[in-house]
Amino acid sequence: MADTGTIRPTDRLRRSFLYRVLEEAGASFTEINGAAVATSFGPVEDEIAAARIMAIADLSPLPRIGCKGCGALDRAREHDVEIGDDNNVAYPQAEGELAARLADTEVLILDSLGGAGTLPHRIEAEWSLNSVDGSYLVNRQGASFWFMVTGRHAPGMFAKLCAVDLQPAKFPLGAIAQTSVAQTNCIVIRADLGEVPAYHLLGDSASAEYQWGCLLDATGEFGGQPVGIEALRLVAWPG
Amino acid sequence: MARDNRLPPPHGVLIDRATPVSFTFEGRRYAGFAGDTIASALAANGRWVLSRSFKYHRPRGVLTMAGQDANSLVQLPGEPNVLADRERIVPEMAVTAQNCFGSLDRDWAAVLGRFSRFMPVGFYYKAFYKPGNAFRFWERIIRTMAGLGRVDLNARPGYYDKAYGFCDVAVIGGGPAGLSAALQAAGAGAEVILVDENPMLGGSLAYARFDGDRGRAEALRADLATQATAHPRITVRTDAVAQALFADNWLPVTQGNRMYKIRAGAVVAATGSLEQHAVFRNNDLPGVMLGSAAQRLIRLYGVRPGARAVVVAANDDGYGVALDLAEAGVAVAAVVELRADSGPGAMALAAVARGLRVLPGHCVMEAQTSRGHRHVTGLVVAPLDSGGQPAGAGERIACDLVCMSTGYAPNAPLIYHAGGALAYDDETAMFAINSLPDHLFAAGSVNGSFDLDAVLADGRRAGRAAAGDAGLDAGAASDIPGDPLAVDQSHAWPMFPHPGGKDFVDFDEDLHYADIVNATLDGYDDIQLLKRYSTAGMGPSQGRHSAVAAVRIAANATGRAVNAVGTTTTRPPVGPLKFAHLAGRAFASVRRTPMHHRHLEAGAHMMVAGPWMRPAWYGAASERDAAIRREVRSVHGNVGLIDVSTLGGLEIRGPGAAEFLERMYTFAYRKQPVGRARYVLMTDETGVVIDDGVACRLHDRHYYVTATTGGVDGVYRTMLRHNAQWGLDVDVTNATAAWCGVNIAGPESRVVLELVCRNIDLSPAGFPYMGVREGRVADIPCRLLRVGFVGELGYEVHAPADHGEALWDALMEFGREFGIKPFGVEAQRVLRLEKGHIIVGQDTDGITTPHEAGLGWAIAGAKPYYVGKRATLIQKQAGITRRLVGFTTVDPAAPVPEECHLVVRGQDILGRVTSACRSEALGRVIGLAYVAPDQAAPGSRFDIKIQGGRIVEGEVVPTPFYDPDNWRQEM
Repeated sequence: MADTGTIRPTDRLRRSFLYRVLEEAGASFTEINGAAVATSFGPVEDEIAAARIMAIADLSPLPRIGCKGCGALDRAREHDVEIGDDNNVAYPQAEGELAARLADTEVLILDSLGGAGTLPHRIEAEWSLNSVDGSYLVNRQGASFWFMVTGRHAPGMFAKLCAVDLQPAKFPLGAIAQTSVAQTNCIVIRADLGEVPAYHLLGDSASAEYQWGCLLDATGEFGGQPVGIEALRLVAWPG
Repeated sequence: MARDNRLPPPHGVLIDRATPVSFTFEGRRYAGFAGDTIASALAANGRWVLSRSFKYHRPRGVLTMAGQDANSLVQLPGEPNVLADRERIVPEMAVTAQNCFGSLDRDWAAVLGRFSRFMPVGFYYKAFYKPGNAFRFWERIIRTMAGLGRVDLNARPGYYDKAYGFCDVAVIGGGPAGLSAALQAAGAGAEVILVDENPMLGGSLAYARFDGDRGRAEALRADLATQATAHPRITVRTDAVAQALFADNWLPVTQGNRMYKIRAGAVVAATGSLEQHAVFRNNDLPGVMLGSAAQRLIRLYGVRPGARAVVVAANDDGYGVALDLAEAGVAVAAVVELRADSGPGAMALAAVARGLRVLPGHCVMEAQTSRGHRHVTGLVVAPLDSGGQPAGAGERIACDLVCMSTGYAPNAPLIYHAGGALAYDDETAMFAINSLPDHLFAAGSVNGSFDLDAVLADGRRAGRAAAGDAGLDAGAASDIPGDPLAVDQSHAWPMFPHPGGKDFVDFDEDLHYADIVNATLDGYDDIQLLKRYSTAGMGPSQGRHSAVAAVRIAANATGRAVNAVGTTTTRPPVGPLKFAHLAGRAFASVRRTPMHHRHLEAGAHMMVAGPWMRPAWYGAASERDAAIRREVRSVHGNVGLIDVSTLGGLEIRGPGAAEFLERMYTFAYRKQPVGRARYVLMTDETGVVIDDGVACRLHDRHYYVTATTGGVDGVYRTMLRHNAQWGLDVDVTNATAAWCGVNIAGPESRVVLELVCRNIDLSPAGFPYMGVREGRVADIPCRLLRVGFVGELGYEVHAPADHGEALWDALMEFGREFGIKPFGVEAQRVLRLEKGHIIVGQDTDGITTPHEAGLGWAIAGAKPYYVGKRATLIQKQAGITRRLVGFTTVDPAAPVPEECHLVVRGQDILGRVTSACRSEALGRVIGLAYVAPDQAAPGSRFDIKIQGGRIVEGEVVPTPFYDPDNWRQEM
């Protein structure tokens, strides 16, 4: 894992758009990708239980990169990214990353919960404007917030915010919806943690606090709460 | 009458006798049980008068006991027009009556009933306006008398929200047909949402009697409801109302404080039928109710509806009512049978076998009242003559309860909403479904099935068909089952008009039988006009119990068939709908910059800028002007810092980047050196200015282009649209959210930056005005633009958004020794105005062209093409009709003109002020305004009309007002 011990969000130049909200909720932080990520808010056993029922987590500092253009998918494949033929599908990668194919000409690479960022950093480092392969990097790090919504009540919670049917039977593992959530444009990716329904949610970073507030409000009916990345890791990779 | 009307168990399936509830009605305390409605609890206590009628203020009580009539509307604190027969009591609920003057029991407005002859149908169209000013007198009285409940403006808002629902099949109605349909569809693999307006599934199975005894109905209800509730593919929503059926099977369903927005593959309408009343004199008295209402009181709430009853029947269900009453200990004085005989129905036979007195071929002449007209005390009945009207003086039967079971109308609003059609069947004397639109199916009594086996079979048929329509393998379709009872449910003419009137057709609007007849005689025989002229069907019940009667009367009065008269249009919502259901939960997204909280911590007064929050100034609202002056002084004298993260940022990359900019903007960019910034001006195809900004060339194939906060999304869309046609090898990315930005400006800005910059030569030669550099500021990778929007030495520093707060902190920290101050949008507006910089959208409008705005210098005329080129050429050749100029006021002490104050010459309007302020630095008022071309030369004077019509004289002065040689910004 890429964690480097407890820190305060203001100890680093890169900061989650939500760090104040998380601090007020009692989060403890660890460093991932040069920023503070909330690891927990309380006993991890409680958060694991919550994650199975209804929980939200802020993953905004974790590494990610976008690639668009007519040559984007080919370039990604040259970097050993496995991308299938269908749009709006997130393809799992060797180290747990996801390659979310948004269109014929765009892919979003999300790091795994490990946070090492090997794949997104490698793609970013090796890209050059002088290349004429018709691919261009998209800064998803600062442009988007990244939340994870987990638990068996997640589809019902999303039904209060989103018109797309995200129930597991209708929204299979790896499916992507580019849609509106609480009246803001978002990307929703189903990415279960083992047997636990889970969804990545990415949207405009300037709306992060607003969206987090909407999610907290919507999850309240189901006893939802914020959880840290530690609980998500333990649900995804028990033992 | 009895004070305690409670029946012992097993009556009262909805109430919890272990949980007593105390509440008040009209200030008097009553006791009920959890599960009781207001109406049932009051009825249990012998309290029958619930309201006063709209026009005549007649006492009204339970009619349907199903939330289908307006008799039961009461007032709660903070909420008017509550259905007492739906709203469940809670401890200390304070209920009051509506629409009464004085008190509910002694409403002085009831005297109006004596003047009914002077208030015939449509009388308000013929009165109240003569003599000429009469309406002024009457209006106040009418407004006082009108309306039902009262809105409490101090009521505390509740939390209402919405949720989407998804299913293959939506079944509306949880009675026997709906339950069968839901189970059948779910069994075929469909995801089903089952909606029922009652607190318990079962519909009529819960209270009606389908045969000699109730055993089968009770067992069937329990079985079907248990199956439906336990089924993994059925979602049950009780206490829920499907308010409409819109295109593509979109259903708004209200349940509690939530509106579900359900999208279904197919819909089954199993909404049942509405029992109809009989029309006779005083048929509106408390104690006169529908037979099903009495059954609901008995079965659902354990309330004896009276002590001595007369049942008016025209179908077998009426005998079921009589049997239920008898078994509940109510003395059944007689069954008044409108038909020639009681028929072969099982319940009629059981009633006869029990020895109940049946009067075949009889009708009701009038109901009689107690003193004060507050409850029925007797019924006068008579045999029917050959013309179907009462013969003889009649027989008075003493009673305190009259139950009417004379027919039904399909409960079909959703079918109408979806475009279905119904037609009147003379054989059954009921409306029946004529056609259904695709993906909509009907089952049960709404579809003309009344026999229980037929209803169940019809439900299964509809469920199977709906599941198949939704794409599932549901088996072969089947026909609508036959129903031996269908022809004997409704009487064709249960109406016995009385010469004394008060034979109500529409209870809501206090319309008598004669009112409908007279409306047709007044010429309003078209059903649409009849409705509006008489108001029949326009009350809260929306014609549930008046539409059929009114149509029949109109048909009879005009010698037409019922179908020839037709029906009015049924529109959503089906039931009462609160504005809160429609409004909540509102989502109003807010965008905040990464430095947002630093602004709050610094005491910023925030303002809304499109979807963003921005600091307007730093300080209290009360010290606005002083704070703005302070911030302006700081920029002019030391160094200021403003958050400009909201500005649009677009990455234009690729081999075609330069060509793309050449075409999108008016200026020239192909030869723009790397490391330089250049002004961009965008026009649309008509040559109108739509946006501006700065293009920074970071690479031969990479421009970083800024746009206005409010215009960037439109600019981005415009770029994509144009390149979809041009096909240039270029990528356009809206990077507004990816980058944040600050503008550090003032004579000390360079010094501050030198403390935090690495690898960037900030010297005047190394970083000249309009230069662009990339480097690290406080160890943050940044783009620096040396631009001069606020008129002083300054730099825009753009950083990755997730580093924004750290950047702000670093600059504020290192700038402290130089007196750095944050400044807000208002100070920025003053500073840019001092430099004569325009703001697109404020100093330009929807028709401003570059030449009008003095931006002709930003047009590269030699270019072969840019969007709007042809139009701007034509505009230049045609000449301008107005010109944007800088001005000051001739009188330095004159008030500051405001935006949109007019520039006038006599009575003619020549232009308007677009921006103005008093500049402390310059010691005078400055502004921008559109004036006539002949007024545009420096030194020209013109008139500005300010508030109150006062004229302030302006004088054209050249811009920039401040630092006209640009020495300070280019140092």
